[in-house]
Amino acid sequence: MADKPRKRVLVIDDASLVRLYYRAALESAGFEVAEALNGLEALEQLLAARFDLLIVDVNMPQMDGLSFLEKLRAKSLPLSSVPALVTSTESAPQRVAAARVAGANFYVVKPLSTETLVQYASLLCGAPHG
Amino acid sequence: MVFGEPKRYFVERRVVERMLGTHSGSFEEYFARLRADLDREIEQFVNAFTINETYFYREEHQLACLTTDLLAARLKVKARGSPIRIWSVPCSTGEEPYSIAMWLLENWPHVDEHEIEIVGSDIDTGAVELARAGVYGKRALMRLPPSVVDKYFAFDGDASWRIVDDLRHSVLFTAANIVNRADTVVHGKFDVIFCRNVLIYFDDISRRTAAENLFENLLPGGFICLGHTESMSRISPLFDVARFDDAIVYQRPSR
Repeated sequence: MADKPRKRVLVIDDASLVRLYYRAALESAGFEVAEALNGLEALEQLLAARFDLLIVDVNMPQMDGLSFLEKLRAKSLPLSSVPALVTSTESAPQRVAAARVAGANFYVVKPLSTETLVQYASLLCGAPHG
Repeated sequence: MVFGEPKRYFVERRVVERMLGTHSGSFEEYFARLRADLDREIEQFVNAFTINETYFYREEHQLACLTTDLLAARLKVKARGSPIRIWSVPCSTGEEPYSIAMWLLENWPHVDEHEIEIVGSDIDTGAVELARAGVYGKRALMRLPPSVVDKYFAFDGDASWRIVDDLRHSVLFTAANIVNRADTVVHGKFDVIFCRNVLIYFDDISRRTAAENLFENLLPGGFICLGHTESMSRISPLFDVARFDDAIVYQRPSR
């Protein structure tokens, strides 16, 4: 296999178990994974490095997922255009709509199986091995 | 058997145990006894090292019971969004609470849907420090599938493996004596308590006190898992016995 740069995913979730669950699934599918505990930390990481996909939890301390997306989408290109998959336990249509307005590309309701997660990640940033 | 540097604590504890057991006043005195094999001390010494050492995924059937039955039963009655709290007490050097976390990640499809708090407590502050550090020798890992070791441990050299940071941060470790109500009450209420292979070492009064304390630490309808040789029915009438496919556990009545 040629050494193509691997797709980089930033997992933004305050729960360490959840970050670990997503990280393990994505890494075994060939993605490179970094983590942030909240929106503020995610913004900081996005200024320092390039990412191909964001996986964003909604409820987090310091800065929640939707406030984070609003801030990110207001920045200049190319930073503002990184695709975002929002994960939430809420399935009400108004929650989904609010996430879309904030800048989510996809919205999925937890729980996510590892297969579903990898499927969405591949779809949003292209399969890890091209 | 080989004990590397991460096992120093384990070795020390066993040696001190045998020194006390033989009423030796110093290590020199004990060592002389061991070399002379007085009262078959060599055998006693070896036994001290081979029993009671814990390992990851010990009594796996109870972990299976947790993910197939216990959590489902708790979720039926819990308010949506309230955290699931699991207590491993005593947790020794952390193998059990980390096993619970790994088991949930590997076997519970709802792991990302709920806020999960895992607390590990032990009376021995040295053990709690080691649990926090999360470094283990090969023997502790013997029951884990290689894929699980790869995912949740980093090889540290010197025949030792370190728990990855996210996993370390997902367990809170505290010092607590389950016979002391002041220690237990501050930990709050739990959905499931694992209290395995400790009550057998207590006298009747301490055993009953510990059981009553742990009862107070359970939410109504919450479960407590004991070691497979232990029976709560002999200790306290407070709990209901609950039989599932993978294990027999005890339950605080709902009302």
